[in-house]
Amino acid sequence: MQTEYNHQDIEQKVQKHWQENQTFKVTEDQSKEKFYCLSMLPYPSGRLHMGHVRNYTIGDVISRFQRLNGKNVLQPMGWDAFGLPAENAAIKNNTAPAKWTYENIEYMKNQLNSLGFGYDWDREVATCTPEYYRWEQWFFTKLYEKGLVYKKTATVNWDPVDQTVLANEQVIDGRGWRSGALVEQKEIPQWFVKITDYAEELLNDIDQLDGWPEQVKTMQKNWIGRSEGADIQFNLVGQDDALEVYTTRPDTLMGVTYVAVAAQHPIALQAAENNPELAQFIEDCKGQSVAEADVATMEKKGCDTGVKAIHPITGEEVPVWTANFVLMGYGTGAVMSVPGHDQRDWEFATKYNLPIKQVIESTSEEAVNLEEAAFVEKGKLVNSGEFDGLEFQAAFDAIVAKLEADEKGRKKINYRLRDWGVSRQRYWGAPIPMATLEDGTSVPVPEQDLPVVLPEDVVMDGASSPIKSDKEWAKTTINGQPAFRETDTFDTFMESSWYYARYCSPQSDEAMLNSDQANYWLPVDQYIGGIEHAILHLLYARFFHKLLRDVGLVESDEPFKRLLCQGLVLA
Amino acid sequence: MDDKGRITKAWLKEDGEEVISAGMSKMSKSKNNGIDPQAVIDKLGADTVRLFMMFTAPPEQTLEWSDSAVEGAHRFIKRVWKLAQEVIEAGVNNELAVDALSSDQKALRRELHKAIEKVTDDLGRRNTFNTAIAAIMELTNKLAKAPLKSDSDKALMTEAMNAIVVMLAPITPHVSHELWNQLGNTGDILNAQWPVADSAAMVESEKLIVVQVNGKVRGKITVAADADEETIRELGLNDENVVKFTADKTIRKVIFVKGKLLNIVAN
Repeated sequence: MQTEYNHQDIEQKVQKHWQENQTFKVTEDQSKEKFYCLSMLPYPSGRLHMGHVRNYTIGDVISRFQRLNGKNVLQPMGWDAFGLPAENAAIKNNTAPAKWTYENIEYMKNQLNSLGFGYDWDREVATCTPEYYRWEQWFFTKLYEKGLVYKKTATVNWDPVDQTVLANEQVIDGRGWRSGALVEQKEIPQWFVKITDYAEELLNDIDQLDGWPEQVKTMQKNWIGRSEGADIQFNLVGQDDALEVYTTRPDTLMGVTYVAVAAQHPIALQAAENNPELAQFIEDCKGQSVAEADVATMEKKGCDTGVKAIHPITGEEVPVWTANFVLMGYGTGAVMSVPGHDQRDWEFATKYNLPIKQVIESTSEEAVNLEEAAFVEKGKLVNSGEFDGLEFQAAFDAIVAKLEADEKGRKKINYRLRDWGVSRQRYWGAPIPMATLEDGTSVPVPEQDLPVVLPEDVVMDGASSPIKSDKEWAKTTINGQPAFRETDTFDTFMESSWYYARYCSPQSDEAMLNSDQANYWLPVDQYIGGIEHAILHLLYARFFHKLLRDVGLVESDEPFKRLLCQGLVLA
Repeated sequence: MDDKGRITKAWLKEDGEEVISAGMSKMSKSKNNGIDPQAVIDKLGADTVRLFMMFTAPPEQTLEWSDSAVEGAHRFIKRVWKLAQEVIEAGVNNELAVDALSSDQKALRRELHKAIEKVTDDLGRRNTFNTAIAAIMELTNKLAKAPLKSDSDKALMTEAMNAIVVMLAPITPHVSHELWNQLGNTGDILNAQWPVADSAAMVESEKLIVVQVNGKVRGKITVAADADEETIRELGLNDENVVKFTADKTIRKVIFVKGKLLNIVAN
């Protein structure tokens, strides 16, 4: 008599068998080849969606295949548990973010088990627990000691009605999502991690990542954005100050017909004192977004400052304009403009009737018509005096050599990558373990005082973070001196930058990582997750791995050997 | 944007200077991704959902939900289940004598080991889970048509069924666990040995040669894979059906295409 296939009975029975036998519990075993298979950990949003199911099924299939082929397989799971949705849900459901988060974790864990995924649950981490984030706080203070962390002012979205900082996602058509007030840009002090110190290594080591999709590698390369160019100095007529600009096209220097500076540039501000039209223009620029996406697409506007700059080679005078697409926080806040060979400069020059000069011609038969558009290809120099006839690289070298000889410029390798601003003015995140003494100096919270615990039993008022509203929370003493705690929390990308390493020794309460265990399991042999994390998460995790290496916690250079980015599920 | 609503992606323009960030569309209710996995797990089981996910598209590509494809996955699991029950009912035989296999049995075993080789490579190296599953499905269909009478039949089917169940274990772990034990194996399937493709089994020992008379197919003969032209000619010319068309004619010429064809020109 044949039995019928009954999935309910079978699946329940087998899942119980795995649970009772701790089938997926693993320990280091030097006699076996290890295989560390990792799926990107979920945000506990409430319920699994089909995208999760696909991601984790792929990971589980690979894990089980490797195990059947004799490997010692580690497949852990955890929760990327801090983040803004918990705050919103807490307000909406009149609960606390912690409670909402822990309930979601409970529910989703059952869902994962009902799919039969073979996780070693003894290694589960939730990034919102003090047991986890205390080590992130500890690591941050180590980085501070090493000079890899600094404080500087940066621009945030400020809601003048709610008196709070808004995340970019909370600004809708330029207005605060709750108050509806016009959002202002405000400068406040924030903490930064020096990822730029690792730009070169992060770029070069991409070549080691044979098991990564080409697309992701290209995206990371572009994001780091190495460029060879030159810093060039333009003296100003009648002033001691000089403008410094960076360009990747020094070969077009002879085609400069004006220089553009940011609205907030000191030269523009000074010139505005006697120029009401310019002052008004600068005022108008204040409200504008500094997001790169907005800057790229917005209408290009400018205003003549009346100041003249001196061309470093020809000695000719060129006008200095302010332009809304030049940002003070980016490079030197000034750019040289070559309307003949840069399309944005061409559009600006055409709009304001500035001269357009051709200094590059095509090396093929392609005709150049500067009446219609800029000619942006590399080519052969014309109308460039002693440099006529040189092609790109030769022209680049000759012009940079001339500038260096005259002490008006030098070759410079630049990275597009910026330092990582990790301060968030949100509540539901790991408190930044820094404090300010009464004399205003910043000090890290000493190791024995860690973790700085985030209170979980709070009421969200919808406007301000509970640890900011409660003025008592910040009061503390550091080494016996009265001090105020930092009330900002970390960017939640911090937690997801090192969780893969924590899984190797998840219960370690004496160190961030147990190096023996970490070095047995790392690097991750197969990492699986969505392509939307191709840049930020994967770059931050690579960066953290190098930081972990440089404080002596791990030996390897890269965290993830093979990467699989699964496609979307349209359901 | 990711699940937290963070902007996670940006593209770089060719000049390498400006970045336009653009949200990445992803699973979310607002994007019409509303099917709740839990409902499908409850109705058809986790193994079905897992099989559907892995079979319907290569992992890097977009996967479109399809009720009929989900049902197809469920039907396939039932087919494997039924086949296993048939093998169990006929009698599991773990004493496979390879030398005693008939040519049909050898051909079937060749298919089995070719499938093992493909599935191993697809899962272990290429990450093309969908083509691995397709190979297992194809093999299952062939096995379903094979006889289960002799000891050799049963031994071959036992070998094949065990291999299929282990190869499916990463994808449909629950039903594989159950069938592994039903097939009389002891211990947890996760501690089983992944099947190894037997290169001897994959060598074709026989070949089918088509025999034509004046360009028309008149017969098919099975010869040893290493048979020489002389032997094949002999067998072809003496094939019962071929003889009917050549009996009253003079053979002018015999054209031999190695491994495939024998064409007899006669008038």
